[in-house]
Amino acid sequence: MFKKILIANRGEIALRVICACKELGIRTVAVYSEADRHSLHTRFADEAICIGPAKSARSYLDIPAVISAAEITNADAVHPGYGFLSENADFAEVCETSSLRFIGPTPEVIRKMGSKELARTAMAQAGVPILPGSKGILQTLEEALETAEKIGYPVMLKASAGGGGRGMRVVRSAEEMPHLLAQAQAEAAAAFSCGDMYMEKLVENPRHIEFQVLADTHGNVEILGERECSIQRRHQKLIEESPSTAVSKELRARISEALRGAMKAVGYTNAGTVEFLMDDSGNLYFIEVNARIQVEHPVTELVTGVDLVKAQIRIAAGERLETILPWRAASGTPRGCAHMELRGHAIECRINAEHPETLVPSPGRITGLNLPGGAGIRVDTAAYQDGVIPPYYDSLVAKLIAFGGTRAEAIARMKRALEMFVVEGIYTSIPLHQRILEHPDFVAGKLDTGFLVRTGILAEKK
Amino acid sequence: MTNQEIRELLKIFNESDVAEMEVQRGSNRLRLRRAETVKEVVVAPAAAALVATAAGPKPAVTEPAAAPPAASNELLVKSPIVGTFYEAPSPGAPPFVKVGDRVEPGQILCIIESMKLMNEIEAEVGGVITAQLTENGRPVEYGEALFAIRPR
Repeated sequence: MFKKILIANRGEIALRVICACKELGIRTVAVYSEADRHSLHTRFADEAICIGPAKSARSYLDIPAVISAAEITNADAVHPGYGFLSENADFAEVCETSSLRFIGPTPEVIRKMGSKELARTAMAQAGVPILPGSKGILQTLEEALETAEKIGYPVMLKASAGGGGRGMRVVRSAEEMPHLLAQAQAEAAAAFSCGDMYMEKLVENPRHIEFQVLADTHGNVEILGERECSIQRRHQKLIEESPSTAVSKELRARISEALRGAMKAVGYTNAGTVEFLMDDSGNLYFIEVNARIQVEHPVTELVTGVDLVKAQIRIAAGERLETILPWRAASGTPRGCAHMELRGHAIECRINAEHPETLVPSPGRITGLNLPGGAGIRVDTAAYQDGVIPPYYDSLVAKLIAFGGTRAEAIARMKRALEMFVVEGIYTSIPLHQRILEHPDFVAGKLDTGFLVRTGILAEKK
Repeated sequence: MTNQEIRELLKIFNESDVAEMEVQRGSNRLRLRRAETVKEVVVAPAAAALVATAAGPKPAVTEPAAAPPAASNELLVKSPIVGTFYEAPSPGAPPFVKVGDRVEPGQILCIIESMKLMNEIEAEVGGVITAQLTENGRPVEYGEALFAIRPR
């Protein structure tokens, strides 16, 4: 087992990893930018090293700075958390060559999962349903029309070299295709110097469903159920829960089986998340793999009883899944049961430092703080009274997680906890979360990524 | 700007902890700047042991014994990177500089080794080295004080 782990991150996830290390008897090194000099993760690590100025590119994203910090403290391993360098294959490689164990998948796997084409191919080969799309770049208008016919309208034209919404067009019929394809190509050529387009089925107002993967370095893979993350604003998740009201036992078993095969074939190790869209007929379509621990991992921890961060560390240290996942040991064989059994229901609210209506970021000093507690409530946070939420990083103040025997109980506990969560000095999204939890559609489980606009809770942003 | 206004501005400034303040009223301009008492507080790797029983969430930041406050006419040379400090170009060689030496801008003061690369740290100003604030072979973090220079 490692003697010392450097956490290449900040905020609540850095603290989360420090907690896991403390429980495993592993010493910790925190790194921090000048803006985070008084942050909580530096307080609770055994050692803390300042690695740069506030700007992420010169601190938390600065590979030489992070590696040097690991060298001067003689760390054995690095946990990258989420965001920052967590899916940077180059960083994972530099760790290896610097004799630091990277707590996550191998650089090759990170690279493969980061390539949309490679990931889709790997999933399709293993029988995981993927979002129907063109086979690569569209060469002609005829090909575009044929592909769209096969997939079924509406379809999305996307720039191969692109992102940020540019070079994208929604096409709802064959009549629209010629001029929209031309427009998208021109826009892509102007924005990215490359007019190559591909096509995907458009799933409108989908549910966002993701599955948690845990794989050891001995070829064993387990799927720890799913999370529903449909409550989003501009692709930023606000509320997550497990299990999903839209995933039946059969669907869970079927997808878990296929994913187990896919991840084994790909040589996946450590923790990861496989993201899907679900259309209104309940069909799942693979979107992408996130080769890291995710923000919303606590909801899975509560319904499975598995500490995912400790599992990551133990996997990286060479332990087998059967010593990490209790039910596997009980059932004896590596494929003891078809899938992980989920118990109870967990919901997470991401409490952000932003105005609950305008969503304008609200960094600043927290002058008053009361964290809720009591039955079934967990708070993951690095906030403290008189602490500062700096403007340079994400606006996450705290993750509030409620667990109950049923979804109704989890909702009741979450509402009670939101009411008792007091933050003064900055605006937070707590009132927004309260409005969502009150809404009959949320209570009924009628969720999709258009929820906030559809229900009128947030006005549509142009 | 009347004397009364200036007195009030001074009072506000003194009661705050801003370092510098400039106020313009019409054609009058008043600038207030706190005298520089540079006191570098860094969390050195070995010294960052935090007392487990400390109450309250306020983080404890320990000052390394070797960093004295610089006088107001001195500049601190701070490490721009994380790494290991070496005072000489190679083991056994004489150090690049010692206390009392006069240095020119661009002159190499020390080496910080990071990921097996030797980075030469140059003086940004000319002046006299009045103190060396870390030891040969010690790890340093970003912003850690290496030398004090009294500029010319």
